[in-house]
Amino acid sequence: MNPSFKLILIILISFEISFTRSLITNCLLIIICLLYLIINKIPTKTLGIILLVPIVPAVALSITIAFFTPAHDYHFALVLFTRMFAYVLLGTSFTLINSPLELARSLEQNLNLPSKFAYGSLAAFGVLPKMRLTILTLQKAALMRGIRLSFWSPKLYFKALLIALNWSDELAQAMISHGYVEDTARTYAHKISIKHTDWLYLLVPLFIIQPLLLMLP
Amino acid sequence: MSNIDIKNLSFSYQPNVPTLENMTAQFEVGKFSLLVGSSGSGKSTLLKILTGLLPTFGGEITRGRITIPNQLTVGLVFQNPNHQFTLDTPRHELEFVLENLRTNPSEIPNKIISALSFCEVQHLIDRQFNTLSGGEKQKVALAIVIAMDRDIILLDEPFASIDPKSRTELINKLVCLRDDKHKTIIIADHDLLGYQSIVNNIYTIKNHDIQTLLHDEGRKLLTEFEQQSPTINCTKPASNSSISFMFNQLNISIQNHKLLNQVSLPIPKNKVTLITGENGIGKSTLFLSMTKLMKYHGQITLANVDIQSIKAKKYARQVALIFQDSENQFLTVTMREELELSKQHRKTNYFNDEVIKECLTKLNLLALLDQVVYTLSEGQKKKLQLLLMMIVEPEIMLLDEPLKGLDINSIHQIIQIINGYRGQHQQTIIIISHQISGLNNFVDHQLHFERQHLTYLETHHES
Repeated sequence: MNPSFKLILIILISFEISFTRSLITNCLLIIICLLYLIINKIPTKTLGIILLVPIVPAVALSITIAFFTPAHDYHFALVLFTRMFAYVLLGTSFTLINSPLELARSLEQNLNLPSKFAYGSLAAFGVLPKMRLTILTLQKAALMRGIRLSFWSPKLYFKALLIALNWSDELAQAMISHGYVEDTARTYAHKISIKHTDWLYLLVPLFIIQPLLLMLP
Repeated sequence: MSNIDIKNLSFSYQPNVPTLENMTAQFEVGKFSLLVGSSGSGKSTLLKILTGLLPTFGGEITRGRITIPNQLTVGLVFQNPNHQFTLDTPRHELEFVLENLRTNPSEIPNKIISALSFCEVQHLIDRQFNTLSGGEKQKVALAIVIAMDRDIILLDEPFASIDPKSRTELINKLVCLRDDKHKTIIIADHDLLGYQSIVNNIYTIKNHDIQTLLHDEGRKLLTEFEQQSPTINCTKPASNSSISFMFNQLNISIQNHKLLNQVSLPIPKNKVTLITGENGIGKSTLFLSMTKLMKYHGQITLANVDIQSIKAKKYARQVALIFQDSENQFLTVTMREELELSKQHRKTNYFNDEVIKECLTKLNLLALLDQVVYTLSEGQKKKLQLLLMMIVEPEIMLLDEPLKGLDINSIHQIIQIINGYRGQHQQTIIIISHQISGLNNFVDHQLHFERQHLTYLETHHES
């Protein structure tokens, strides 16, 4: 499926479940996403971690709604509980299966977003793992000079921020020196097309989900 | 043919502190020019002005101008290989580059392959940049400039982390580009080996100004450099020498790619051991394993104790890694703050204020105390980094390409400072370096890394 279409679909669905209270639809979404991820061979460990992440906020939120509100709305508590998992799994279905580069290319070619924006967001994707590595290196470098920087040390994050600022400048220089000129036409090594099936994949789920959201409890 | 003309050029990063002053020179089009000058003299600045990155990204041309004839295009290979890629793999980066140049999509795959194979790195095409060694990244960077088909190719110390064999090969390829495709090559380098027979013009940058050397002066400079280098005498460690590190059944791999498989290897204490080997063979990764930054199989012991059983803090104070990329070592903003930080954790009073000041003077850093560390030149960063780590007095220093960006004089000064300390205190040093000019009389043993194995070499050169 075209990455931009997939992104739009997932954003729209997430948006819709935020404003409706259908427990069954949430559960259906969770099951579909799980199936989709399993079909695409997501590693069990990754899936486990992803399912663990929303547990604390989901439990906390549903307990609050169920027991500490005047209405004691158990149904709504369960809706919120499942909604958390639906969000996380929808997001995962998108990010784990699609490469950020493919998305950037699609945003540029199909949605006509400025290339600056497409490649800028791509760089932001790239920075996250790099940041993790940098923080580990920083800690080690500090330790070698006799300083222990804990994970909550402001010094560590101040430094990380400084490095990130420096990176953005370096990145801009790298792009320019590699021939990038803002707002000029580029060619595309890989043409990302919108097929008829892409429209189907986008519209059919949206049509199906509307009545479900409105009618199912 | 007309030349690249620099006329009365003055450039400063900060008002009233000129980096280049009233500089006048001409670079001949279609020729191979070599740019020489001490660390921080302004070589990178000049190259970045020629590329147009400066003053766009800071600084100001206060006077004069640069004229590049006939709309010739300029490409630059950066000094720091970590600073020049936008995307994650060589293939994606090259696609991005060629798209920017509006290359016809049908030609892109062929151009990518031919540029990478020109630099003999086609096997790296789909590797993530963060798994490539410093030298491999530099080769890819060169391939990119070649794919861009720039008329003028500027290279800022491109060989600092490239093994001697690849260095010679790449220099020969640059010569081909000049002779067959009439490219203009301007290269900044500290290591002057191998240029004697190929270079057309030599320029020196000194005291903010540039000088074009006459033919004989240039030859003399290169000959002098060749004479003082680069053979080292080293022996195998004596069997009864005391041992610092010991590897037992050590296996290191990166992404299922096996790097080292060593049954047993001792590294002698209080000696200087040099590790050499081709780019990407696993030298830096070995250092990461030795500092517990990377997982390995088997055992590494230090003074007969498994390093895994030594507490992180204690171990870090014993064994210091001097990163290949200097910026990884910095923790604060200015040079003065960095020095203060290191001073807080000295083990003895060897590096007192007076000695530190003396070191700073020797390394030409004294005037830069309040400068932000990131704005220093690569060579200045390297010198500061080495000094900072010497001040905290680790028992063992692992130096990863410590000569990168350093002129020969700075190398001598650094070695003098290390030797001064080692005259009074015990310190084991392990160095990874491709460049050995300046290391003669410093290195005791040489370990060669080849086919997943480390072997001590014995070299005797009559001097």
